[in-house]
Amino acid sequence: MMFTPRTRRALRRTLRRQLLPKLGVVLFGLLVVGALCAPLLAPHDPTTQQLDEKLRPPIGFSGQTEQTSSQLVDGEVKTVTETTTISATWTHPLGTDALGRDMLSRVLYGARTSLLVGLLGTTVAAIIGVPTGLIAGYYGGRIDDALMRSGDVMLAFPSLVLAVALVGLFGTATVRIPDPWVVLGITPAMPAHVVLPGTVVLVVGLVNWVWLARIARGEAMGLANAPYVLAARSVGASDRFILRRHVLPNALTPILVLATIQVATIILLESALAFLGFTGTTLSWGFDVSQGRDLLSTAWWVTTIPGFAIVFAVFAVNLIGDWFRDALDPGIDADGGGGP
Amino acid sequence: MVSGRFLARRFGHGVVVVWAIVTVVFLLRYSTPGSVVTTIAPLDASPQLKAQIARELSLHEPLHVQYATYLGDLLRLDLGHSYVNNTSVRQLLASRLPQTLDLAIAATIVAIVIAIPLGVVSATRRHTPTDYAATSFSLVGISTPNFWLGLVLVLVFSVGMGWFPVSGPARANGEVISAIDVLYAPQLAGRWLTHLALPAVTLGTYFTALLTRLTRSGVVEELDQSYVRTLRSSGLPPVVIRYQHVLRNALVPVVTVLGLQLGTLIGGAVITERVFAWHGLGSLLIDAINDRDWMVVQGCLIVIGVGFVVINAVVDGIYTRLDPEVSME
Repeated sequence: MMFTPRTRRALRRTLRRQLLPKLGVVLFGLLVVGALCAPLLAPHDPTTQQLDEKLRPPIGFSGQTEQTSSQLVDGEVKTVTETTTISATWTHPLGTDALGRDMLSRVLYGARTSLLVGLLGTTVAAIIGVPTGLIAGYYGGRIDDALMRSGDVMLAFPSLVLAVALVGLFGTATVRIPDPWVVLGITPAMPAHVVLPGTVVLVVGLVNWVWLARIARGEAMGLANAPYVLAARSVGASDRFILRRHVLPNALTPILVLATIQVATIILLESALAFLGFTGTTLSWGFDVSQGRDLLSTAWWVTTIPGFAIVFAVFAVNLIGDWFRDALDPGIDADGGGGP
Repeated sequence: MVSGRFLARRFGHGVVVVWAIVTVVFLLRYSTPGSVVTTIAPLDASPQLKAQIARELSLHEPLHVQYATYLGDLLRLDLGHSYVNNTSVRQLLASRLPQTLDLAIAATIVAIVIAIPLGVVSATRRHTPTDYAATSFSLVGISTPNFWLGLVLVLVFSVGMGWFPVSGPARANGEVISAIDVLYAPQLAGRWLTHLALPAVTLGTYFTALLTRLTRSGVVEELDQSYVRTLRSSGLPPVVIRYQHVLRNALVPVVTVLGLQLGTLIGGAVITERVFAWHGLGSLLIDAINDRDWMVVQGCLIVIGVGFVVINAVVDGIYTRLDPEVSME
């Protein structure tokens, strides 16, 4: 485990004493279970269209649709508008969208996209940012200047703007990962693959590494002259060895705290890109919100429900981030990392 | 006071960052597979147009000549030609900038007016229901995607209540109006505000939440300092202590983070403009990417990047006023 016994004790103490961390653990647990077990929990295939079931409202509400058709009345073609009331059914507890796809199933499957992009995107950001920051802080001087100035340039572009431009340039490549539940034959092939928006993972990592680099740099600067680092250097340890064995482990706590906040930021960023139609996958909460835009006056749930799912997920991750921050107190301000 | 040397250094640093920004934007066009002409030219460009573009941007010349042409054009404030819209990019950007500024400034005002008092109250009444309410609000606020918030606000206040227009900027005689037009024709202010209200709240919410959190943690930290106890024992009214002494010190870190987070505001503006069919830079950028109009994308990136640097320089100026120690270096 990456935490020392002392930090683990601090985490447990905060968890026991405060309400919000407990809530965070529960909500995040639900999110992970929903994403992992989506094929077991989803009542329908999230991509199957059933047009005769379209725009069903969630349980407890009723919806109306207007249908215009041309009919021959007294030898003349007339446009007739019929309003039909659609009632909710337990077959689709959260209703259906304009193409008759089950909202609950889409929400569950959408959690996979959000979580995967959030975690992998943060990993990409960390792979770029942490070594850069550690090297800048450890060596200082010109190397520090050069690396951190390049970071300043990255910061001048809002992450969403840069992400949009990069996705526009590189297109939207996706990676199809076989769904383990389907491969093992436990559930029938609903969608047989998890479609991971590959370009988006790289791009969100690329536009967010600076925040992690800044934190890593600050830590490394403080550690560069720590007694045990000086001792290691005096017995001839290489810089590479010192960075990996002494600096990185001691800088890890604040990096992890910020990385958690970054997961939330990146989930928001992915949903924004999906809303704009720039991710290349359509099984995503942000994309579903955009699908409901033109239905606001007739079918409010098509935008509202996937939006709640985004808030739920980001809120859960932020609660975990706050818990880590409060327990470990790494001196990060409330919000060290960019937004959507 | 702010020394001349400090200002000169700050200016020099800004110039270097601006140069780096325009260079990164220049290099981006070479980062795609395929030739540069295909990146810059619209999809349906004829061979003649492609040849013309190559000539105008010296694309057949070696890289350093292309770069020199590019920098030379920028110095003359020539941002090139939009081959899709068939106008100059500068004109296109100039026509959209006022709308984005309206939106960003209105959102910032919303954020400051709500967040700073809320953060102070939350910090001074720590662990009371007021504090919990403010903390929860800010936590939900930073977790809410603004495109969704915008749609929900439209659903409730435009579709439901009918108080505000659903989308689009205010227009007079078919022309989009912005704050500058309102200055000349105050009778348009009402219309302008009803159109601006929902987008401003949408964009401002994330920022309000962020600022509330920052203000709260800043004030909490300051309240523990010994000078606060001294001021209290000297009998100063709590309001004076809070807003004149504590807040002033607590704002120093808030202002720094705020400057860095301005990117978030601009990024949020892109999405908000999309939701409300706002006639600003953000909509322009998204349209340009969809139309593969690289010259416009490039222009937007430069204006946004340089704008960020300029605003941060201003923020640094405010910073030195708030904290005299900074200018001593």
